[in-house]
Amino acid sequence: MSWTTVLWSMDAAACLTLATIHLVIGLRRRAPANLLFALMAVSAAVMAALELFLMHSPVPEVHAGIVRWAHAVFFVLFLSLVFFVRTYFRAGRTWLLWTVVVVRGVSVALNFLIDPNLNYVRITGVRPLRFLGETIYLTEGVFSERTRIAQLSSLLLLIYLIDAARTVWRRGDRRRAVLIGSSTTIFVAVAAVHTALVMQAGLRSPYLISVAYLGVVAAMAYELTFDVIRSSELARRLQIADAELREGEQRMTLAAEAANAVLWHFDVERNEIWMSERGREIRGYGGGERIDFRRFQESVHPEDLEGFRAAVDAALRTGGEFEREYRVVRPDGETRWIAARGRVETGVGSGTRLRGISIDVTPRMLAQLESERQRSELTHLSRVTMLGELSGSLAHELNQPLTAILANAQAAERFLSQEGPDLDEVRAILADIVEEDKRAGEVIRRLRVLLKKGEVERQSLPLSEVVRDALELMRSDLVNRGVTLTAELPPDLPAAVGDRVQIQQVVLNLVANACDAMEVLEPRDRRLNVRAEAANGCLRVSVADCGPGLPAGVVERVFDPFFTTKTHGMGLGLAVCRTIVAAHGGELGAAGNAGGGATFHFTLPAGGGGAA
Amino acid sequence: MNATTERVYLVDDEPAVLKALSRLLRSAGLEAVAFGSPEEFLARVDPDAEGCVVLDVAMPGLDGLALQEALVSRGIALPTLFLTGHGDVPQSVRAMKGGAVDFLTKPVDDAVFLRAVREALERGRSGRTDREESARIRSRLATLTPREREVLEGVVAGRLNKQIGGELGIAEKTVKVHRGRVMEKMEARSVAELVRMADRAGLRRA
Repeated sequence: MSWTTVLWSMDAAACLTLATIHLVIGLRRRAPANLLFALMAVSAAVMAALELFLMHSPVPEVHAGIVRWAHAVFFVLFLSLVFFVRTYFRAGRTWLLWTVVVVRGVSVALNFLIDPNLNYVRITGVRPLRFLGETIYLTEGVFSERTRIAQLSSLLLLIYLIDAARTVWRRGDRRRAVLIGSSTTIFVAVAAVHTALVMQAGLRSPYLISVAYLGVVAAMAYELTFDVIRSSELARRLQIADAELREGEQRMTLAAEAANAVLWHFDVERNEIWMSERGREIRGYGGGERIDFRRFQESVHPEDLEGFRAAVDAALRTGGEFEREYRVVRPDGETRWIAARGRVETGVGSGTRLRGISIDVTPRMLAQLESERQRSELTHLSRVTMLGELSGSLAHELNQPLTAILANAQAAERFLSQEGPDLDEVRAILADIVEEDKRAGEVIRRLRVLLKKGEVERQSLPLSEVVRDALELMRSDLVNRGVTLTAELPPDLPAAVGDRVQIQQVVLNLVANACDAMEVLEPRDRRLNVRAEAANGCLRVSVADCGPGLPAGVVERVFDPFFTTKTHGMGLGLAVCRTIVAAHGGELGAAGNAGGGATFHFTLPAGGGGAA
Repeated sequence: MNATTERVYLVDDEPAVLKALSRLLRSAGLEAVAFGSPEEFLARVDPDAEGCVVLDVAMPGLDGLALQEALVSRGIALPTLFLTGHGDVPQSVRAMKGGAVDFLTKPVDDAVFLRAVREALERGRSGRTDREESARIRSRLATLTPREREVLEGVVAGRLNKQIGGELGIAEKTVKVHRGRVMEKMEARSVAELVRMADRAGLRRA
């Protein structure tokens, strides 16, 4: 076995091996770059085989044929290289590319039109040469000037490659630029120059085109392999990350389930909701069922649906937090309370997501509702008791209009039975009767409002009017007890938010207590001041009496349940009032006055805007 | 005595009630004068007014009962009728002790109200007659000499002429003369009448 055979065979084998690898990759990944590379490597391998035959053939006719076919193979090599650079590096000017292709194409066409081939006018014979310890044969003949066209194409190829390298360099991809710009260009230049020297300058050497192009193939193979390695590394990392993610999710789910919680996320773009098993169970979703937002809303209690939607919309719009308590109706009709919290995520690639956690808070909600019910019951009871104590006064409030109505009506009867009755007088009487009847109706309306046992309503309230209404109910009581009332109720206070009935209950309670406290005074000294004002962003109602005040040690205890300084009463009034005010987000307090007596006050958050 | 000067004074803090009751009185042919507060009434009332007062018990400031006392202390002798929203026993007892004619509960029926008003007016009239008589007696008393007065006191105390003479250090005969003068000046036809006059003049209490 000769060295040339070994070396050129290895060259061809290396090229073929790389070609096979990238053919497989190219086909599997449908990657044109890999396929072009495979074609280039195969061409280089064939080139090596042709060179090997050339070296070992002593027949001039064989030399002429091999050179001619080498042109065809080289054309393929050329084409695959330029298109490879184009597709893989996305570089190289289009016009330059086509110029290279056309010029080379022309040279190949000429090669087949001219006898014996493009390189020679005439092949005169072969010349033996000792090369790597054996005899090889070099072609001898008359060099053709037409070869310049092939050399021109090689030059154009070089320009094309350098230009492509420059583009890649500018793009910032220095490593690849160096690869094309140095290795490829050098090997292509070496092949071109060496061939020219052999043919024109009489350099005594065999053709080394395939050897030079092995360099190009190797350089490109390195680049491609690098890519393959990188992508497989990426895939491996992705796998690890995925596994970690899955493990993390599993751990989270486990933790969530231990805490009775449900993990969920809502992929807005894909309109898909994922939730952990427990959440699907509650809502009765099938195992593999895809849940979209519409399907999800079917499980939300109709009364809570609007608020729920609004909360989701608000979170998505602001990209902020989501927090909502709502009811879910199970397929079997059972209602569960769910507290959900979440956050909007806008990750790269995954689109907008609302991700969060939900907890079944039904037991807590039921307990809360029960305690609210009890509180409302107690509040109502306390109110009814208080109104019972006020009943005399209330009866008087009704008595006044009734007295006026009866006297008016009987006066009218008498006027009408007289001769030539004064009809104007009777008309005036009827108008007054209507007026007084309305007044009585108003008293009953106020009473009914207070006696009503209903839902607590949060609404915007004109505080002064609410307080005045309560004071109207107590008017007779105040008169009976000889209490002089001064009320400072400005009409332009900001609105308060709360329940009218409960606020009135608090006012009635405080006023009733103040009156009780002043029982010990002479009637002319019983003075009571009620005022409403806006202070420090909230609204404040104070009830000041001039009774004996609060002894030390009593101030702290007046709000305790069952604490009382009176001979009658359960000691629940103020305790209930404090609960009411606290539920409104305000404070109920008491203090002694500088000039004697005590002042009780409560605050309410202002609802904003002017009162109606 | 004269019906034209006789008025019903209404005092109530409730304008609607005041107005309605005034009408009722007018419809019955009575003259009503309305006051919105006890203070206003006290400030404007004529001490010699004739008629009666209808008072609401519960009023801010001075209440009805206090007003009644104020009237008495000022010597305004108008018979008083009370109206109340919710008459409780202690209040009504106090009112009646203070000389109230009646204590009515609101709403009040016209018949009951007017009857009570008329009764009060009647009492006012008779009170006036009494007062006139007392005034007459007092003016007669004023004509007596000190000695005659001493004798009168002894007579109404039920003592004999002899005892009176002993007490005063004068003869029984002289007592008799004084006694005849007293009977004459006082225009008394009998000792019993004289005693009644002395009673009315408050002499016995003194």
